[in-house]
Amino acid sequence: MASYEPSFALEVFQNVDAGEEINMCMQCGVCAGSCPLRDHMDYPPRQIFTLIRAGKREEVLGSKSIMLCTSCYTCVVKCPRNIPVMDVMHGLAHYALRQGYVPRKETAAFGQEFWKQVYRLGRIDEKDLPRRVFFSAGLVEGIKSTLTFMDVAIRLLLHGRMKLLPEKKIKGIQSLRKMLDKAERMGKGGSVA
Amino acid sequence: MKYFLYWGCSLEGTGANFLLSLRPACEALGMEFEEIHDWNCCGASVSYAGANDLSIKVLNARNLALAESKDKLDIVAPCSSCYVQMVKVNHEIQEDAELLIEVNECLAEGGLHYNGGIKVRHIQDVLYHDIGVEKIKARVTKPLNGLKVAGYVGCQSVRPYGEYDSPIKPRVQDQILEALGAEAVPFPKKMLCCGSGIFLPEMDYCMELVKTILEDAIAHGAQLVSTVCPMCAMNLEMYQDRINKKYGTQLDMPIVYLTQLMSVAFGMDLKRDAALNCNVIPPEGILKAAIG
Repeated sequence: MASYEPSFALEVFQNVDAGEEINMCMQCGVCAGSCPLRDHMDYPPRQIFTLIRAGKREEVLGSKSIMLCTSCYTCVVKCPRNIPVMDVMHGLAHYALRQGYVPRKETAAFGQEFWKQVYRLGRIDEKDLPRRVFFSAGLVEGIKSTLTFMDVAIRLLLHGRMKLLPEKKIKGIQSLRKMLDKAERMGKGGSVA
Repeated sequence: MKYFLYWGCSLEGTGANFLLSLRPACEALGMEFEEIHDWNCCGASVSYAGANDLSIKVLNARNLALAESKDKLDIVAPCSSCYVQMVKVNHEIQEDAELLIEVNECLAEGGLHYNGGIKVRHIQDVLYHDIGVEKIKARVTKPLNGLKVAGYVGCQSVRPYGEYDSPIKPRVQDQILEALGAEAVPFPKKMLCCGSGIFLPEMDYCMELVKTILEDAIAHGAQLVSTVCPMCAMNLEMYQDRINKKYGTQLDMPIVYLTQLMSVAFGMDLKRDAALNCNVIPPEGILKAAIG
């Protein structure tokens, strides 16, 4: 492993939500061992932390691992140094997107459309969200994905598990947006363009 | 006992059977619920792709502030994702005075303020600690007669804080199942994540998780899998045919909410109170046979 090169670590400490927490890592690997999607990661969390310390900016921000988190909190519960590993991964993924990297295309599209909908309505419309995610990849991709998931949608509909009316904005949507605008400006993680 | 019920977006749609069964089952135990007026989404677990951490905290703090400004009841969140998002923000705010000030600066933009005085609880928590297993048992009129159920806990309903149950070896759901007359089978994968909010975009990887979970339940003799989370229910139930196609398995396991089993065991209406008609893989036959 390469030697310590602090420039990227400093960037992470200053700009990534929970980024400073990696200081506590002692490289035990319990996070990697406990992760349900570890087999699909290019670098497990432990290695991501080492790469940050070694100044490997491209490897970290371009790694699919930072966006493969199911948010199950197992690593958070098991880390002997109490690092909120999940929060660090979320922070890194957010920062990567902000810097123009796309660690996982579909998950990024899903999360970004999810947040846009929260901002627009204050709630999630379970019919509208997948549609927007599917079509964010283009018209042809959108039609393909819609057809692929048609069976799931129909079964949900037939079993009374799809809200028929479109989701309305919450009453306080304007004031919610003001709060979120302020948080976007104030928060360490900044905003994804 | 009265609570705020924060049911969230999914329980009005894909998780309808959770809310439809939760209300009658819990009301039968003397619980009363009030809605948080004009509540908003919790942001679930994928919002980080669009929002920074403070934004997600403020989003949740708005709900907490709305509750605090009214009745100061405990908030019960049945959806695991709503629960974990809210409980986490609440913890962090209560431990970090500076964060509370920052959050309040943002809330003030919309004329709200939060003092940190609300408690957020999972439905299993109130069932176990406020109502109690004995009282649940006493309400049972149609015991599940040894029906073998795998109690799937998943992740976000007990992690990360383990406020009401062990985040490593949880027992609460199994004890409630036993109170209903079911046999909670050993189920080592009961804590393995199903893929949660990223199931859809990461389907290939997550189907493998669901396969592992369901095969473990089957290997331990389960006739049903119970859950307390709308994402778990959706991910475990809706894609079994796709998993069968991909892996050549023969999964056909009904997935029910714990509250549906409660309504059934309380002798209530299988459709109106247990919402069994909402399940895509029908659990009705197995349940009817169990209660006789």
